[in-house]
Amino acid sequence: MVALVLDIISSSAILFIISAGLLIIFGVMKILNFAHAGLLSVGGYTALTVTQLGWSPWLAAPMALLVGFFVGALIEQTVMRWLYARSLDAILAAWGLGMILVQLITITYGRQIQFVQTPLSGAITIFDETYSLYRLFLIVVAIALGVILTYIFKGTRLGLNTRAVIMNDSLAQALGINSAWVRFLSFSLGCALATMAGAFITPLASVDPNMGFSWLVSSFMIVLLSGASLASLAISALVLGGAQVLVSTFINPVAGGMTIVVLAAIILRIYPDGFSNE
Amino acid sequence: MVFQMNSKGEKAGINRKKSLFFWLVVFLAALFVMVGPYVLDRYTVNILIRSFLYAVAVLTVDVLWGYTGILTFGQSAFFGIGAYAAGLMFTHIGFGPGEALVAIILGVGVAMAVAWLVGWVSFWHRATPFYVAVITLVLPIIVVQLLYSNPQKLTGSSSGLVGFPSFFLSVEGWFWIAGGLVIIFTTIAWQFVNSNFGKVLIAIRENEDRCLYLGINTTRIKTGLLMAGAAIAAIAGYCYAGFTVVVAPEIAGFVFGTELVIYTALGGRGTLIGPVIGAIFIDLTSAYLSGNLPFVWKLIVGAIFVTVIVLLPQGVAPLIARWVRAVIDQFKKNSFGPKDSTPVQQLHSLEHNERTPQPKTDKAPLRIEGLSRNYGSLRVLSDITLEARGSEIVSIVGPNGAGKTTLMRCISNGFEPTGGRVWVNDVEVGRIAPHSVVKLGVGRSFQNTSLFASLTVGECLRLARFRLSRPSMFSYQTNLGLPEAALHILTATGLAEQLNEKVINLPHGLKRALELSMVLATEPTILLLDEPTAGLTKTERSLIGDILVNLARRDGLCILLIEHDLDFVRDISSRIVVLHQGKLLLDGTVEDVVSSDLVRAIYSGEQLAESVEGN
Repeated sequence: MVALVLDIISSSAILFIISAGLLIIFGVMKILNFAHAGLLSVGGYTALTVTQLGWSPWLAAPMALLVGFFVGALIEQTVMRWLYARSLDAILAAWGLGMILVQLITITYGRQIQFVQTPLSGAITIFDETYSLYRLFLIVVAIALGVILTYIFKGTRLGLNTRAVIMNDSLAQALGINSAWVRFLSFSLGCALATMAGAFITPLASVDPNMGFSWLVSSFMIVLLSGASLASLAISALVLGGAQVLVSTFINPVAGGMTIVVLAAIILRIYPDGFSNE
Repeated sequence: MVFQMNSKGEKAGINRKKSLFFWLVVFLAALFVMVGPYVLDRYTVNILIRSFLYAVAVLTVDVLWGYTGILTFGQSAFFGIGAYAAGLMFTHIGFGPGEALVAIILGVGVAMAVAWLVGWVSFWHRATPFYVAVITLVLPIIVVQLLYSNPQKLTGSSSGLVGFPSFFLSVEGWFWIAGGLVIIFTTIAWQFVNSNFGKVLIAIRENEDRCLYLGINTTRIKTGLLMAGAAIAAIAGYCYAGFTVVVAPEIAGFVFGTELVIYTALGGRGTLIGPVIGAIFIDLTSAYLSGNLPFVWKLIVGAIFVTVIVLLPQGVAPLIARWVRAVIDQFKKNSFGPKDSTPVQQLHSLEHNERTPQPKTDKAPLRIEGLSRNYGSLRVLSDITLEARGSEIVSIVGPNGAGKTTLMRCISNGFEPTGGRVWVNDVEVGRIAPHSVVKLGVGRSFQNTSLFASLTVGECLRLARFRLSRPSMFSYQTNLGLPEAALHILTATGLAEQLNEKVINLPHGLKRALELSMVLATEPTILLLDEPTAGLTKTERSLIGDILVNLARRDGLCILLIEHDLDFVRDISSRIVVLHQGKLLLDGTVEDVVSSDLVRAIYSGEQLAESVEGN
């Protein structure tokens, strides 16, 4: 029972970490970042490189954050900023960019599955139940991420400007907010969070160039269900992650894999507003 | 009343040149398919058969995405369903004419059922256009998962099904079949997208909302297209299985689904021929190149794809087409070929028996009771009760933010109100979509002109008649019946002389007039007009005023109108309703309202609070 509850919470935490970057881009730009899968893979391979270089595995996530910010900035400047007015083309171009990232990784690292060192190994006993220390650590990461992002959006000038752009872009521009700069920063930050998420999940499984795709549709559905707020993202992650764990445990893992998508589609069909609180 | 015109301006519909070009391509393609097996080497013939079948699937992507704007990554799933229908049947039950027939019926049937489900899940009120892209990305993932899970050891899991008995056909035979399918389906799709009905696809892509408010059930059309596309992709997949005798989960996967979109984008979306040639060319090139450098090749395709999306969104086809047309033009100058001409558009007024009978009822056509609309905690409309009778022009006035447009939205869209009830022609409007409200007799024009930029005036008018006279799916007719009032506006403004002009080229005044005649073409009994004269000249305004008065007096229409021009309001209204901060303040005759101190106070903003409370 304790293990089940911890599974639900940690799985939801992982979903939250993975979807946070996607949510920020969706919130500000109103587009789904179809390059998300490729960015998760970039994060995974950054973690791999860090450990291959013999650096501390604790450096994997910060390095991935840096790499992701750089990649995101590059993508925004060269491709995305020309496409904000054509949203379907924007997601297609992002999809193409994701493919390019995956191919670059394949050419550099090969197609085989590889393993990354974990910064936290072992297990801890809670209420007579031994549980993976690293999964518990990810719960802390998710909470910290939620707090930091909430602070950025609610407590800083940049966050205020961003919220203004989200609500009314042209009015924000008229008030002297540089919305191109806001978009640039949010897109880069969204990409950075995606790669960081990729680095965080690698110790749980292996890395291969297509590792991001298995997370892609789940994170899309979670973001579509949450609208554009971090609080509703947390709720969506908890509900869908919980459902996934329950179905995987009590029915079978294949059905569990599809739970998130099917459940989210049904919820959206019945309550088009999803969990967004607007 | 019959108008004919032959514009020298923009070309419309299937013009001769475009059509000539198409049939030339079809002829060359047919020639190529016939002689192909005799002149090409065995390897190329084998690859081309596969490419042809991919091209058939790509056609469906082009109709869905290129024409209608439904971005789909999931056509591979339907291709896979068709392929597995053949593979499963021939592996487990055996091959025979009966089995082959049952397999294709099952494959197409299952594909269409799944497509219907995809449509049901994807197309709901207010769903973003990405949503169908996400769902169609999910679809192949689920299909592949099911294939991997290998229920009862039927699907052979990741290795798929291999070496099952199949049709006894030579490679030449398959080449002709696959090539024939490409030509047949391209021709059918060409006829379809260039038919009168086909214009609705472009209309949905450009302005789905306007379609809804013209009474067009876009959800049904989009779901229908998905189902037709699924059926065609399944047929291609079935042939693929029959030819290769190998079915593996990859052919149903999203990677293949994505490749179909890439072929479409590179070839040139919305051109049919471009995507087909793109698919064949890229698949053939991949077959030769990817053996040597598989990952680099994919990288190159990805890079070209992104570049084309950013810099050349219409793909490569239009560039080539322009070049070919230049050659044809050159050729025609030197010969006595037919002169380029656009089809003659003819308008006529509807015969009396063609008109939709107006509902007979003693009650007022529009009744509103306790209507309210909240956005979260913000009350935009509260407790509006209002009646509007036939032959009445009711003007709704009030300062900005009074809730005037919201009121119209709540009448014309059953999903909008958060409380209260609305009756249209004695039928209660429940939670129904705008196109169903149109069916009850409500016509609405928008504050910001809402039209289809890349269609012509004639095509827009035909779309307005879509609900009442369903256009043909496979031909392009040029005569169109319109109600007298719509026709009157067209002639009075001179629009009737510009039926082949694209909407984007019209001046503002004519766009407003076109929108009004489109709304009238839907034969409404209740007309909701949101600032119909905004930005018009004095002459245009009085023309519209006369038309509205005529509609009310002669045709008995019930007209609700939002206006800021109080002189205009005074001239034509039979009643004025004043809204302020979401509440109905005053409902009375023109004199009542004009002489009211309250109204003066609202408009000048003086001591508002006191006067409202004092009321």
